[in-house]
Amino acid sequence: MARKQVDLLQGTLDLLVLKSLTLGPLHGLGVSHRIDQITKGTFKVKPGSLFPALHRMEEAGWLQSSWGESENRRRAKYYRLTAAGRRQLNTETEDWQRISLAITTALKAT
Amino acid sequence: MSLIPRLTSLWRNLFHKDRVDQEFTEEIRAYLDMLTETKITQGLTPREARRSALVELGGVEQVHEKVREVRMGQLIETAWRDVRFGVRALVHSPVFSVVTVLSLALGIGANTAIFSVVNGLLLRPLPYPEPEQIVHVWHTPPQQSFPGLDKFSVSPANYVDWKAQSSAFEQMAVYTDTRFSLSTSNDPLSLIGAVVSSDFFSVLRTNATQGRTFTPDEERPGRDQVVVIGHGLWQRAFGGNSNIIGQTLTINSRSFTVVGIMPAGFEFPQEAELWVPLAWNDNDRQIRSDHNYLVLARLKQNVSPEQAQTEMSTISSRLEQQYPGENKGWGAVVIPLREDLVGDIRPALLVLFCAVGFVLLIACANVANLMLARGANRQREIAVRIALGAGRARLIRQLLTESVLLAVTGGLLGFLLAVWGSKILVQLGSLPNTGDIGIDTWALGFTLLVSFGVGIMIGIVPALQFTRANLSDTLKQGSGRTGGSSIKQHTRKALVISEVALSLVLLIGAGLMIRSFWKLQNVDPGFDTRNGLTMSIFLNWIRYSEPHQRLAFFDRAIEQIRAVPGVVSVGATTKIPLTGGGSTQPFTIEGRPSAAIAEQPMALTRYITPEYFRTIGVPLRQGRFFSDHDRDNSVPVIIISEAMARRFWPGEDPIGKRLTPSFHAEQGAREIVGVVGDVKATGLDIDSSAMMYMPHKQAPLPFMSFVVRTASNPESLVQPVSKAIYSIDKEQALTDVQTLDQVLMKSLSDRRFNMTLLIAFAGVAMVLAAVGVYGVMNYTVTLRRRELGIRMALGARRMDVLRLVMGQGLTLTLIGVAAGLVSAYGLTRLMASLLYGVTATDYLTFVTVPVVLIAVGLVASYVPARRATKVNPTIALRTE
Repeated sequence: MARKQVDLLQGTLDLLVLKSLTLGPLHGLGVSHRIDQITKGTFKVKPGSLFPALHRMEEAGWLQSSWGESENRRRAKYYRLTAAGRRQLNTETEDWQRISLAITTALKAT
Repeated sequence: MSLIPRLTSLWRNLFHKDRVDQEFTEEIRAYLDMLTETKITQGLTPREARRSALVELGGVEQVHEKVREVRMGQLIETAWRDVRFGVRALVHSPVFSVVTVLSLALGIGANTAIFSVVNGLLLRPLPYPEPEQIVHVWHTPPQQSFPGLDKFSVSPANYVDWKAQSSAFEQMAVYTDTRFSLSTSNDPLSLIGAVVSSDFFSVLRTNATQGRTFTPDEERPGRDQVVVIGHGLWQRAFGGNSNIIGQTLTINSRSFTVVGIMPAGFEFPQEAELWVPLAWNDNDRQIRSDHNYLVLARLKQNVSPEQAQTEMSTISSRLEQQYPGENKGWGAVVIPLREDLVGDIRPALLVLFCAVGFVLLIACANVANLMLARGANRQREIAVRIALGAGRARLIRQLLTESVLLAVTGGLLGFLLAVWGSKILVQLGSLPNTGDIGIDTWALGFTLLVSFGVGIMIGIVPALQFTRANLSDTLKQGSGRTGGSSIKQHTRKALVISEVALSLVLLIGAGLMIRSFWKLQNVDPGFDTRNGLTMSIFLNWIRYSEPHQRLAFFDRAIEQIRAVPGVVSVGATTKIPLTGGGSTQPFTIEGRPSAAIAEQPMALTRYITPEYFRTIGVPLRQGRFFSDHDRDNSVPVIIISEAMARRFWPGEDPIGKRLTPSFHAEQGAREIVGVVGDVKATGLDIDSSAMMYMPHKQAPLPFMSFVVRTASNPESLVQPVSKAIYSIDKEQALTDVQTLDQVLMKSLSDRRFNMTLLIAFAGVAMVLAAVGVYGVMNYTVTLRRRELGIRMALGARRMDVLRLVMGQGLTLTLIGVAAGLVSAYGLTRLMASLLYGVTATDYLTFVTVPVVLIAVGLVASYVPARRATKVNPTIALRTE
């Protein structure tokens, strides 16, 4: 993978995890693959940061977890968005768009 | 997240930790498996796939640890685990723990005890509503007559004028404290009480819990036979019975009706237990030059003491112009009540508080050193934990938990010590307002706060240093002892140097106090304190209103006392030396220009019986003592002190000269018949001032103190002598029964209190510093074993090794002493007011104390040095 990888900004990880779960419940590896996929390989989320984030967000009430069966019939822990998680995703998305617009504008300014 | 899921989660994380952990292990295993499978589908061999997945995961334990940290309840859980772990670690090294806890207990306990005194006296508000508004208003006396006195009691007429003319005060009251004899079925009780104007209680905004206080009507003579009693007296003498109100008590042989009971803790003025109304008649109100009263006032809201001061200064200078004869030079000063009550003791308390703080700092430095030494042995354990994924912050927290645990244990033990210690403090020192001093929640809060602070202070340096250690270096070292930790050695040395410096400051402080005390003890009080007994009596004005009645009483009393077996001689005076100024009178000298009363010279005045001087042991310098022939119908005579003779008749013979004390002007000029030695009237540290003595028979006052010279131990005569006096009148209570030695002791008690505490603190500090030097040198020897072995193998003699190690110890001590000298030079000035006869930079102290401390430092490093000489080169080289 020759594409340049970017370090995750503080707070961005939460946004990506929440976003990755909008289509339905995923297990840890699924979340990590989904992020890789939706960011076109720009972000690689390592388990060292993924799992703490998942557990933190679960404790914060944004995610809910349950044991389920994976595509190759393996017992895995699945995470799904809660209502609070969806609200959080909306707020964070808005915030992000504001920031990104501001930064883009700033960078285009002559 | 709402509360309930949060709590369930907390519950789950705390109490179903195993299940939570297990679930995570399963989750991560599934992740690994799935990742491996993904990689296999990408074309890797199962082995390679597994390896690559593991590398990507980056250590199961680290991930697990991080997940644990984010879990809610984590903080509490780890804190609890830290505490359990800490307890286990501390139990593993019992000697270390006990030594640490005990030294911290001493340090913190001493601080709590002193804090409780400081809090009771200086910090806590007085127990009256809006206490900051309450002030005392005093006179400031003319300085030429009362050199050094900055406040003086007030005369009735001036009080009446102040009250009428001032507007800064909501209320102004007047009172005087005095002793009362309360008649009981047994011997009369002598009680401290006060004669107060009716608004006295409203200035303090304190009302009776039962009954009432006084009405203005009761300030009129004839209506004033009512009494308010204190809670303590009510409990003690009347069993807390409420129907005491309305009953009649015999006080000073007069009957008083009890009208009220004050709340518990109300003891103003100090230790007062009963209050009667102050009833002045119209003549009393005119008296301007007899200063006998204290003025208590409450400032109006929004009026500061400074504003009141300005107003009072204006009023008193107006009065000076209006009544130059009596008031010239008499100003007024407004002093907030608390400041007035504790003003004298503040510098001493602050010095003690600093001293005890120093002791705690030294104890902390010592414990920090111990922890560093102990930590060296734990370095491996810590390195292993870092390798296993413990974060640095997490480890620091763990180490701090341990030190806080130690400190809090020490603090709680210290608190128990303080409960006991503060009682001793109150007994040892004659502290004002002692009802307020005690171990309370404030003191407990202080202890806990200090303990936490101490815990962090002693833990932070070791915690930061150990967790910084290079992981692989430590792990590689087999024995677990890090030889090259030079930073740590620097820290340890710096700590020891500060210990030495701090203890030097304390020792110099204590040294200065000892020197002062020693100088004071060599001061001649002017009389003989051995085998002397004294007791005082205040005859009541009604039964003994006529001078001849008082004379008859004292004549008989002296006769009766003389008849007691074991009594050598007996005399009486109006005030025993060393117990305070007492009466001071202006006087005029015959043949010299007379001045207005406010400008006349002053002298302390005593009225004595003929045998007084011989009994108490004041020597005659010139002329004669009084005799029984000096009585009311004979020539008025007077005896003066040497200081008075020197001051007013320098180079002249005062015998035969005549002077007129202003209070006895109607008797005309008095002939000086004798000159006697000086006595210390107020205290050993105050120069003898001019004193004059008049025969009691020519001015029979109702209050006298007997002085009894005994053949043997005076205490054994207390009973028979009191009995002899009570046989004359059972309603006149004796007070201040004590031996003359006790009088002397008491006059030094404040100084002894300060000195004893400072010596104790300095002693503890010195021992701690010595232990510190010993500890660091001992450790150095351990670290340098190998090097010392090589030196000895190459031919170094024992003497060389001894010199090497002791030299190092000496260097530490010397640097500490130098730093200490500089600080002491600056700090001891703060205690100048506590010293007598030495300056704050007394060179003898500044030389002796460092020498002593250096000697102690040498001894402390001698022990490790001797150990160093015992190093066997072959063994030292073989090990490690």
